Amino acid sequence: MEQTERSLVSRLLRLTVLAEDALLVLILAAMIGLAATQIILRNLFDGAILWADPMLRVSVLWVGMIGAMVATRIDKQISVDAVSRFLPTHLKARVRVATDVFTAFVSGVVAWSALRLVLDDRAAGGTAVAFVPVWACEVILPVAFGVIALRYFLFAIKHMKLSVAEEDVL
Amino acid sequence: MILIGIALILLAILGAPLFAIIAAGALIGFAGSDIDLMVVPMEIFRVSEIPVLIAIPLFTFAGYLLGESQAPRRLVRMTNVLLGWMPGGLAVVALFVCALFTAFTGASGVTIVAMGALLYPAIASAGYREKFNLGLITTSGSLGLLFAPSLPLILYGIIAGQSVDDLFVAGILPGLLMLLLLSLYCFREGGFVHSRVKRQPFDRRELAAALRESIWEIPLPIIVLGGVYSGFFAVSEAAAVTVVYVFIVEVLIYRDIPLRRLPGVMRDSMVLVGGILIILGVSLASTNYMIDQQVPMRLFEWVTSHISSKLSFLILLNLFLLMLGMMLDIFSALVIVVPLILPIAAGYGIDPIHLGMIFLANMQIGYCTPPVGMNLFIASYRFDKPIILLYRAALPFLAILLLTVLIITYWPWLSLVLVR
Repeated sequence: MEQTERSLVSRLLRLTVLAEDALLVLILAAMIGLAATQIILRNLFDGAILWADPMLRVSVLWVGMIGAMVATRIDKQISVDAVSRFLPTHLKARVRVATDVFTAFVSGVVAWSALRLVLDDRAAGGTAVAFVPVWACEVILPVAFGVIALRYFLFAIKHMKLSVAEEDVL
Repeated sequence: MILIGIALILLAILGAPLFAIIAAGALIGFAGSDIDLMVVPMEIFRVSEIPVLIAIPLFTFAGYLLGESQAPRRLVRMTNVLLGWMPGGLAVVALFVCALFTAFTGASGVTIVAMGALLYPAIASAGYREKFNLGLITTSGSLGLLFAPSLPLILYGIIAGQSVDDLFVAGILPGLLMLLLLSLYCFREGGFVHSRVKRQPFDRRELAAALRESIWEIPLPIIVLGGVYSGFFAVSEAAAVTVVYVFIVEVLIYRDIPLRRLPGVMRDSMVLVGGILIILGVSLASTNYMIDQQVPMRLFEWVTSHISSKLSFLILLNLFLLMLGMMLDIFSALVIVVPLILPIAAGYGIDPIHLGMIFLANMQIGYCTPPVGMNLFIASYRFDKPIILLYRAALPFLAILLLTVLIITYWPWLSLVLVR
């Protein structure tokens, strides 16, 4: 039972990796295309696509949140790197467990609140960009923070194993 | 409440990601005031309501493209023809090239890694002292923060509610002052202290060859800066034009970056953007909470009751920002601290544009200040030198930068004359 669950999780994570990278590239390319088209229309034809600007703004949020998911994946979130750099190795892993659990918990709470926000707005209706409802724009928030929480949870397990292994060596 | 604050600071120092620290602060604060926690994702969603923000992913991607291409090599060649004949010429080349490059890529260590690899061996083989060389490259890694279109300038404009166009203009003179003073030090090093440093005679044919080689890149700063400074483009439009132009030049004309590498470059650049935007998002929430609790007001009252004059406030501000620059990277420092000090500074009659220059100039120094400045570690890693050597190498440059910061701080005219 546990085995299948774990493989399901790892398969899901692998799928997320693919989806993240593809979405990042696609959204960024679309943003560039849309922004360039908008400039050409505005300057040469005195026109504009009405939904382009709000669409671009929402894309910034999406590209940012997916970028943050990937930053977590490769463990490159911005942090103060002043003290941990000088910690002895055997303490490093243990400190990481604490900060990982903390980050996972905080991200989890944000993800949960974001999910409630999406559900509320879905019930309320309302459109953000021309034809896209508000909740669909927001949906990236619970997804991103959920994945980030999960990844930090997995980091915590990894570092816990590491610190246990080091204790065995000592 | 104080205990929670201390716990959060401790977690931050131990290396917990900053977005989590800020989010935790906001969540705890709102929960304590019995406000529904949905307000936090609502605030993060506001990232999608700030028009100028589009410039950040676009400029970042353009900067990464430039970094991956052969543009740094062509830029060094071009600048070397133009400035290499002067005493200390090659060192001055390094300053100008790094400044221009950082302006386009943001101060994220990219400059040291990309430009250092080219400049460090060139400067060494021209006969400069190693210590001078290391100090030069390390401190140049964050030079150029004050020049358009640097990301920290844009971010400051967004957070402080100031026109990004104005900030772009305001940064010109303070940035040039930094370059000028550092150049004087390079003249001294190359011309008088070590006369055996090789100089490259001016060569008209080499100039023509270098011009021909970078003919497509030379218009770029003119398009971007000219477009924004003349008011022809909005900042976000300039970003779109830049990214399209850089793509056409580097990928389609020079073919420096094969198409199959493109998705990787896009992804890497968006990881940096994600790291910045998630911090910006959660800090919108924490700032909202702090304003709700009138924290800036109370801080202002406390500060004004202890510090009477503008001068002593500015001195303390410099000290505080230098310390901050050592601990935090510039993006986090901007989103966390600017909302707090902006009203205080305004109370002392400091123009928000001028404050931006003070803030960024201090942060720039913090990057190279021992013991924990980020540039020192990147350079130590990149050039495989002991960190202690880099501490000593950076000192004379730091002294000069510190002098510039003092001039920028106490002579507002320099930052404001082109704007107001």
